[in-house]
Amino acid sequence: MTATRFFALLGAIVVLCGCAKSDPQSAPGAAADAGMKRFVFVTNGDDPFWDACNAGLVEGAKRCGLEAQGLRVVMEKNNGTAQGQIEKLRQFGSQSDIAGVAISVIQADNVAIVEEMKSLAAKGVKVITVDGDVNRNTFRDARPFYIGTDNVVGGRLLGAAAKAILAARGKTNGSYVQFAGFTDNDNARARMNGFKETLGTAYTEVDRMSDEMDLAKARDNVRTALVNHPDLTALVGIWAYNAPAIAEVVQERGVRDRLTVVTFDAQAAAIERMAAGQIDAMVVQNPFEMGIRTVRLLTAMHTGDEATIAEMFPHRTAPEGDLHTTGLRLIVPDTDARVQPTDIEMQGFEYLPLTKFRAWLASYGLSSS
Amino acid sequence: MPEPSGQPKAKVLLRSGEWALLAAIVIAVILTALVDANHSYWFRPLESLRDIARNTALLGIFALGATVVIIAGGIDLSAGSMIALSGTVAAATMVALAPAAMLGFKPVGPVIVAVACLASLLVGFLVGTLHAWLITAVRLPPFIATLATLVGLRSFARALCESTTAAFTPTKSALINVSDPLFKAVRDNVWIPVAVFGLLAFATWLILTRTVLGRHVHALGGNEQAARLAGIRTENVKWFAYCFGAMTAALAGLFYVANESVAAPVNQGRGHELNAIAAAVVGGCSLTGGVGTVPGTVLGAIFLRVVIDAVSKIIKTGADVYEGLIVGIVVVIAVTFSQVGQLAQGGRRLLPGPLGLCAIPTLALLCGAVVAMTANGPAGLASGLAALVFLAVVRAWESRGARAPRPS
Amino acid sequence: MTTGAGDLAIAMRGISKRFPGVVALADVTLEVGRGELRAICGENGAGKSTLMKILSGVYQPDDGVLEVDGREVAFADTRAAERAGIAIIHQELALVEDLTVAANVFLGRERRTAAGLIDDRTMEAECRRLLALLECQVDPRARTGGLRVGDQQLVEIAKALSLDARILVMDEPTSALTETESVRLERIIARLRERGTTILYISHKMDEVFRLADRITVLRDGRHVRTVDRAATTPAEVTGWMVGREIAGHEFHRAAARGPRLLEIRELTLPWPAHPRGYRLANVSLDLHAGEILGVAGLMGAGRTELLETIFGAGEPTWTGSMRLRGEPVRFTHPAEARAAGIAMVTEDRKRLGLFPDLDVAANVSLCSLREATRGGLLDRRREEALVAGPIRDTGVKTPGPHAAITGLSGGNQQKCIIGRWLLTKPAILLLDDPTRGIDVGAKAELYQLIDRLCREGLGVILTSSELPELLTLADRIVVLAEGRLTAEFTRAEATEQRIMHAATGG
Repeated sequence: MTATRFFALLGAIVVLCGCAKSDPQSAPGAAADAGMKRFVFVTNGDDPFWDACNAGLVEGAKRCGLEAQGLRVVMEKNNGTAQGQIEKLRQFGSQSDIAGVAISVIQADNVAIVEEMKSLAAKGVKVITVDGDVNRNTFRDARPFYIGTDNVVGGRLLGAAAKAILAARGKTNGSYVQFAGFTDNDNARARMNGFKETLGTAYTEVDRMSDEMDLAKARDNVRTALVNHPDLTALVGIWAYNAPAIAEVVQERGVRDRLTVVTFDAQAAAIERMAAGQIDAMVVQNPFEMGIRTVRLLTAMHTGDEATIAEMFPHRTAPEGDLHTTGLRLIVPDTDARVQPTDIEMQGFEYLPLTKFRAWLASYGLSSS
Repeated sequence: MPEPSGQPKAKVLLRSGEWALLAAIVIAVILTALVDANHSYWFRPLESLRDIARNTALLGIFALGATVVIIAGGIDLSAGSMIALSGTVAAATMVALAPAAMLGFKPVGPVIVAVACLASLLVGFLVGTLHAWLITAVRLPPFIATLATLVGLRSFARALCESTTAAFTPTKSALINVSDPLFKAVRDNVWIPVAVFGLLAFATWLILTRTVLGRHVHALGGNEQAARLAGIRTENVKWFAYCFGAMTAALAGLFYVANESVAAPVNQGRGHELNAIAAAVVGGCSLTGGVGTVPGTVLGAIFLRVVIDAVSKIIKTGADVYEGLIVGIVVVIAVTFSQVGQLAQGGRRLLPGPLGLCAIPTLALLCGAVVAMTANGPAGLASGLAALVFLAVVRAWESRGARAPRPS
Repeated sequence: MTTGAGDLAIAMRGISKRFPGVVALADVTLEVGRGELRAICGENGAGKSTLMKILSGVYQPDDGVLEVDGREVAFADTRAAERAGIAIIHQELALVEDLTVAANVFLGRERRTAAGLIDDRTMEAECRRLLALLECQVDPRARTGGLRVGDQQLVEIAKALSLDARILVMDEPTSALTETESVRLERIIARLRERGTTILYISHKMDEVFRLADRITVLRDGRHVRTVDRAATTPAEVTGWMVGREIAGHEFHRAAARGPRLLEIRELTLPWPAHPRGYRLANVSLDLHAGEILGVAGLMGAGRTELLETIFGAGEPTWTGSMRLRGEPVRFTHPAEARAAGIAMVTEDRKRLGLFPDLDVAANVSLCSLREATRGGLLDRRREEALVAGPIRDTGVKTPGPHAAITGLSGGNQQKCIIGRWLLTKPAILLLDDPTRGIDVGAKAELYQLIDRLCREGLGVILTSSELPELLTLADRIVVLAEGRLTAEFTRAEATEQRIMHAATGG
């Protein structure tokens, strides 16, 4: 083909794209009878935490009888970047069999993600956030509901536990480092701030280190922290895989006796580490329950079941009424647990020794939470 | 696309290659429309077109830069990192000039946006100059020079991001959010990046085919020594090529930031330089230099994005797991396809000797494994066996032709 | 010398070979007796190399039968041919430059110790013995890339000897040799013949052919034309069969008046730090006038190419001395400057240094004059075609059209394109570095006429060549370089081959 003909073709495509600039509202009728519909759960990355959540989704599907209603739920694991989530949301926009989307937003302040969520909602897809929310101060209207842990409370809980453990070891001040995947992710930020707030000014937060969900980097960060700050008192793991990373390196360096290790979430490896006495306390979310409630909420939104929605969100008009929190648990080792329930002046959490926790996991066929 | 010697001018062959690519694109679209359970192309064609067009434009802008570098006989591995750096430079400039507005998600004003964009393009020019200097004066091979900037630029971008946010905002951050309405307008209106791509493609085509500089680029890539001995200032031509490559990557970086509403140098554009090179090669560029066209690259970019979109539409959930595998296979097939004719004529064998023998189970296993993972076990086994039989037949057919009487 | 069927070392009957788009050999029959030296002559593209590559196992014939020592054979690869006692020494030497001489001689057949490791000692000793047979002084442990071309060729012959080849094929063996080395090679060939080796000798140098060969076979356009006893024919007859017509030797008479002095070089010295000698060129002085051809003779490595490159600004910028162009001192640092000043250079080795294989004929010819093919700043196809039509016609390029692929043209036509490219720059001085290398007889004659005509039109030409007859035919004056020094200068009347050779060998 000559170049002139080619560029005419290119020009035609440009014009066509101009016509496509406004999102066409799909006629509800055309979408409704397209066969099996899907609820899609988009994670922020690829962590075993989501496997427990997936088990919850499956359980929720059973309990809500999705198949009979022509629905099914699937989980899509993101690759750890904002671009990945944006692309997935766009793809959902051009497919007609999506009934609802639950997303753990990877960057709380990312405008593009928010816009894609809104455009999906405008097409009639039900959109909620789970576990990772958008910045509620600026983007409250991006989604009607959020399910997840109150991460600030979680941070506070871990902070209180850490305080008690350090006191039991005879320490009243010192320094600590917090480790997470991304330091500007909403739940990571909330936990770290809650932890810092509760632990108090007697202890200095020396650094917040991010590893971008790279497991090798997670370990290297711990090593770097130990080298750069030789007199640390505590190490704090914020995301699930940070726990085994910290425990491993601490053992490798042989500094267990002078460090307090407190972490979030209970990956299978972390459970083993606590059993071996390498982790002092874990604040555990309940991704399994998150999964079940996600399905419940999306089904209710899809079928217009106001009763269920009202049950899950009783105070919708209140400032915090769009948040539905799933429970937190404080897991401690069976022996030598330096913190007791009475040490913590907070409500709304469950205190479990390790064995009891493991029994709970086994009862649902889970290996992690 | 390599041409057999002694044939009349390549124009005819290149044209046929581009037609084949266009046909491949059409076939892929039709296939997707049929196989996709939702028939999304049928029911929502404009949305899919919009997404594919946007992604093609983003890829195509710096694929054009890669094309010029490849035709000039070089290679640029750092385009992805340049994208990250350029986005970061633009965002950092805006933060430095209007920190309050950026933090508060308010508009910074068109003047500052213009300054930021110019700063990005300037950085592109500087990086291109650096490449050209390393390659012509320091005599580093292009692979090494751009490999160094592949890792160096991204790290530099991250440092820039953190130091700028530390200096002008309350907290040090690994990314900068960009919510200015001008960027938002680019994100919302697909025709903007597509139009920019179209204009850039036209300008590149004009330069490459109708200017003296373009002819010199072809000469340089075809035979560098002869070009120098013909009186061409090869250092200057290389300077142009690498600056063009880096500045198109810088321009693409601005669009990436608009698209993602954030400058995140940690992972932005990571690995994308290979997509650009793949688009150029599928479109007919030769990595030895001297061969390549703009229409070819444009079609190559469209083809790649259509295939990626097809994978998403057909596999639906978890499509990105298979995306790399399928794109890899498609690129190999696309480039090999043009050589099938030569293979058949030249008497070269596809599966020669012990190496060919080992390749048969490898390919059959690959085919079977992929099908087993995407469909189900029995189908995988069946297709693996079918591939095994097919390849064995090919080998037997090839050996039959070469059998000759043995000396007694 | 007649041979009976039982005495045949080689019989190739009805051999045909096709490549994409071209028939290389069509029904060729060749029968060579044991111990015979058969010369195979033909223009480039006649099929000589292809035929020999079939004999040595590089290619397999599409049709026909191959017999060695009366037995039918089919060689799947070169290894099979080697086992049958056939070795070939290619025109482009097939040596690995970074390996030692011994390693190259035993490449693919390395000797091993009892433990299975490489036995360098045995190989080097054996190699030394073979090289001594060949009068070669080279150390077996030397890096092959650092040897002179003549010695590299002997390494190839040593390789063939180590194979105990009874049939040896030599493809243009003296094309890269000096006179001394060629003489040495002929002695070695004589020694090989005493051992009973059958030799197939491809060459287009009639003097060699008529000195060495028992019989001569001529191929043309992939077909067998004639096979005759050497005693029964003449060089002119053979050349006639090669090109299909008789070529008379040409004498070029040029009007005595030559124009003003164009180029004046005094005490040109080009340092060479890496070499014990220390210089590539030392105190070279010469003049060039308009309308004359100055020939530069010398052996390989004497500095002819370096001299031209220095004049053209394409060489190392470290030279000292003075260079004046039309009286003005000049010093070029880049070919672009030389071109702008009116100097043009047609390099040696056009494939590596002159052609652009991906561009068509028009683009190759217009490359140095693109500004004249533009309209409004953009290249204009019609103007380009009009621009190149002149040089294509004037130099006599035979091409299907201006947009044909340059790689499809024969060597002679490619060279004409390159000359045409430079003619478009309207040079005052034309530098030609071994322009007729690898070009067949017919095209060579055409190039001679072209160069002669250009000279009459007022160009000053400096011409280097390894073929003394060529210089004697064309040049008005001849200077001789030996090891970087200018050792003699002759007018055409004074010059003889012996005198030039004497000066070129430093004597």
